[in-house]
Amino acid sequence: MRSTLSELRQSLSRNKSMTISLVVTMTVSLLLVALGLLIQSQADRTEKYFGSKLQLQVNLCTKNSPSSNCIGGVATDDQKTAVQQALRENPEVKSFDVRTPSDNYERARALLGQSDSGRKQLETLSPDSFPESYFVTLKDSDKYDGVVSQVAGMDGVGNVNSLKKLLSPLFDFLTNMKVGAWAVALLLIVAAILQVSNTIRMTAYARRREIGIMRLVGASSWHIQLPFVLESLIAALLSAALAAAGLAAFMYFVVYRYLRHTLGQLTTWVGWHEALIVMGGTTLLALVLALVPTLVMTRKYLDV
Amino acid sequence: MGSPTYTRRVIRFDKVTKTYPGQKRAALDAVDLEIEKGEFVFLVGSSGSGKSTFLRLILREARPTTGRVYVAGKEINKLSSWKVPKLRRQVGTVFQDFRLLPNKTVTENVAFALQVIGKSRSEINKVVPETLEMVGLEGKGHRMPDELSGGEQQRVAVARAFVNRPMILIADEPTGNLDPATSVGIMKLLDRINRTDTTVVMATHDSSIVDQMRKRVIELDNGLIVRDEARGIYGYQN
Repeated sequence: MRSTLSELRQSLSRNKSMTISLVVTMTVSLLLVALGLLIQSQADRTEKYFGSKLQLQVNLCTKNSPSSNCIGGVATDDQKTAVQQALRENPEVKSFDVRTPSDNYERARALLGQSDSGRKQLETLSPDSFPESYFVTLKDSDKYDGVVSQVAGMDGVGNVNSLKKLLSPLFDFLTNMKVGAWAVALLLIVAAILQVSNTIRMTAYARRREIGIMRLVGASSWHIQLPFVLESLIAALLSAALAAAGLAAFMYFVVYRYLRHTLGQLTTWVGWHEALIVMGGTTLLALVLALVPTLVMTRKYLDV
Repeated sequence: MGSPTYTRRVIRFDKVTKTYPGQKRAALDAVDLEIEKGEFVFLVGSSGSGKSTFLRLILREARPTTGRVYVAGKEINKLSSWKVPKLRRQVGTVFQDFRLLPNKTVTENVAFALQVIGKSRSEINKVVPETLEMVGLEGKGHRMPDELSGGEQQRVAVARAFVNRPMILIADEPTGNLDPATSVGIMKLLDRINRTDTTVVMATHDSSIVDQMRKRVIELDNGLIVRDEARGIYGYQN
């Protein structure tokens, strides 16, 4: 072990600039992968918040609804039954979920609880402020006009929102960000793998005499590979730690200090829980990115 | 167990042919021979006669195309690659160009062979000075290789090959870079190692050494054994 560690120390100091460039490349690619994953989990979260299929949201009347269908105040049971009946019988509707006023209140709490102004606003609200609503899944998500025109005019219906229409700019933005982050990350990952291979080739060349002697005197393959594996492991863990720190900074400054305050009304934003899962994922990715090429390349260049 | 079980036999070639890819002529052609424990064998022949291939097969640096090679009781063709290091611990090797690590002292060079096979520090601290003394380098353990003469460097290489007390010592032209007087010193050292019941197989072009030592001589020519004498002379030019 002592000899392996001393080989490792020598090798790290010999390859200082290569190791630093590898760590930088890996850190940036891991950070981009992390952002891609975070955006993915943001999209999942938003989709879950607004209903899984993001189609139509039919809100019934509350006591304060301004709609002309709501003259009688809160929708009555008969009105509810009629709207549900209409949805059930409409050939364009696949299914619908019922959300009670308290379901909707809980969701609003999650959304508004993200910012100070939202929390203040929440104090004035109670479950009564929210309507019963139906989240409608359509057979064809682009054909919502028929359903809208049918239910929008019914008594007891406050309003009908097409979530697809409402949220598609946000989803397009998230998708573009995600694709962009992953495309750049992919290029950088290829660069990182090539850098790992190059570092190993150079180290194997610099150490060819030692390695030749190790093979001759019967050192095990594992013993010959170990300094290379440890070197890659150190680079991988360092990169993963730096990427995690970068992600933490992004979470703190962008998500918590900016998005939750400024755009808190739009959706519920990802939190530390998701960020920790993403950090775990990128650490695993770092290990795979460094160790797999190392094991393959040491087999190739060391002839062990 | 198809392998031979004679305890005295440490190397056996059984109709061994080795043809390298892209070559028409065999580097070794149906070679049959046995070498016993404690023997001292000179391998002679011109360049390209097959000596290096013979040594590479013993070290399992190459595998026979046909036939079987047994080293230290193991058939090398059947040996899985993870067992090869164990085989090589039984075979020490010395080269014409010494192959020392220039950034390590004499002691570190010799200790390196034990460190990389996982020997304990206490064992290394005990065995390395003993071996250096045996090869005549006592008091020179702290020197760097470039502070030593060629003969001394070769002694370090012999110490490194022998420090793990292998069953077989392979020497590939060990005196090729040395003057005659220094060569005699190295031969005395190899003879001394041979007296510890270590089998020594030495490839050489040095006729005076072979003639002086009067040991077994195996002569290869174009991959064939053309002579195998118990107490032979170089005899190549006769």
